[in-house]
Amino acid sequence: MLFSLRELVQWLGFATFELFLHLGALLVFSVLVAVQVDKLITSMSWWLVFVPLFAADGLSTYFTAIVSIRLYQEGEKRLAVLRLLWVLTVLSLKLVCEVLLCQKLAENDPTLDPLFGLIISPLFILLQLLMIRACRVN
Amino acid sequence: VKMSLAQRVLLTWLFTLVFLTMLVLKLDGKVTWNWFLIFLPVWIFDSILLLMLGVKMAGRCRAGQDLRQGAPGLRRKVWYIMALLLKLGFCVTLCARLEHLTNLRLVYICIPLWTMLTGAMVELGANIFPQRRD
Repeated sequence: MLFSLRELVQWLGFATFELFLHLGALLVFSVLVAVQVDKLITSMSWWLVFVPLFAADGLSTYFTAIVSIRLYQEGEKRLAVLRLLWVLTVLSLKLVCEVLLCQKLAENDPTLDPLFGLIISPLFILLQLLMIRACRVN
Repeated sequence: VKMSLAQRVLLTWLFTLVFLTMLVLKLDGKVTWNWFLIFLPVWIFDSILLLMLGVKMAGRCRAGQDLRQGAPGLRRKVWYIMALLLKLGFCVTLCARLEHLTNLRLVYICIPLWTMLTGAMVELGANIFPQRRD
């Protein structure tokens, strides 16, 4: 739409398959959120709702590890390390945000109740990193 | 006039940053603004995208290009406009529900979002697994 697929892959640093994986996880997650909010299944916990996102992060890490090992074996050592570092940074920031949000939704303990500002802060860091990367790609 | 990659990235980045900031302020109870106002960056960003797509399509039609030749490109642009409208529909109904203007179930509110996400997955899937042409 605003970006071509090639530009998105270059900017975000994820392969097309990984984008497909995260999009699928988002779709399943949104279905589970709707089911949970509408209380269609009463015994479902918020941790279960977040499982598709955690699974996508895990699969993406596995995929990146394989790609980086292959790149390293083919002599592209710098590229392999840079790709691994970037993807792990993005995925860990995303995971921290997801875990904090899930904890806030799942536990009703006011003493362990972080502000939304704190929960979203990894996304703000991620936005800055994406801006820096955009300058490099451009 | 085509925007450069840096301009497009800056536009996306700026609107995302403003939206996230306003969302956090609202969720933490620092502001008591209307949910439609919180989604203002989304409305503006989507309007810009719709305008850009509309201008592109109008330019294409005015240039008198052969529609049969340009069919895949035109079809894609129509899909983009549809996806944007689906996203806007989802955001509007979500805001209406958050403002208690409607008691619609979230399952129904999410239908446009799911349609859009499924379409996006089909498009991405077509890029990952291209059709074999013998």
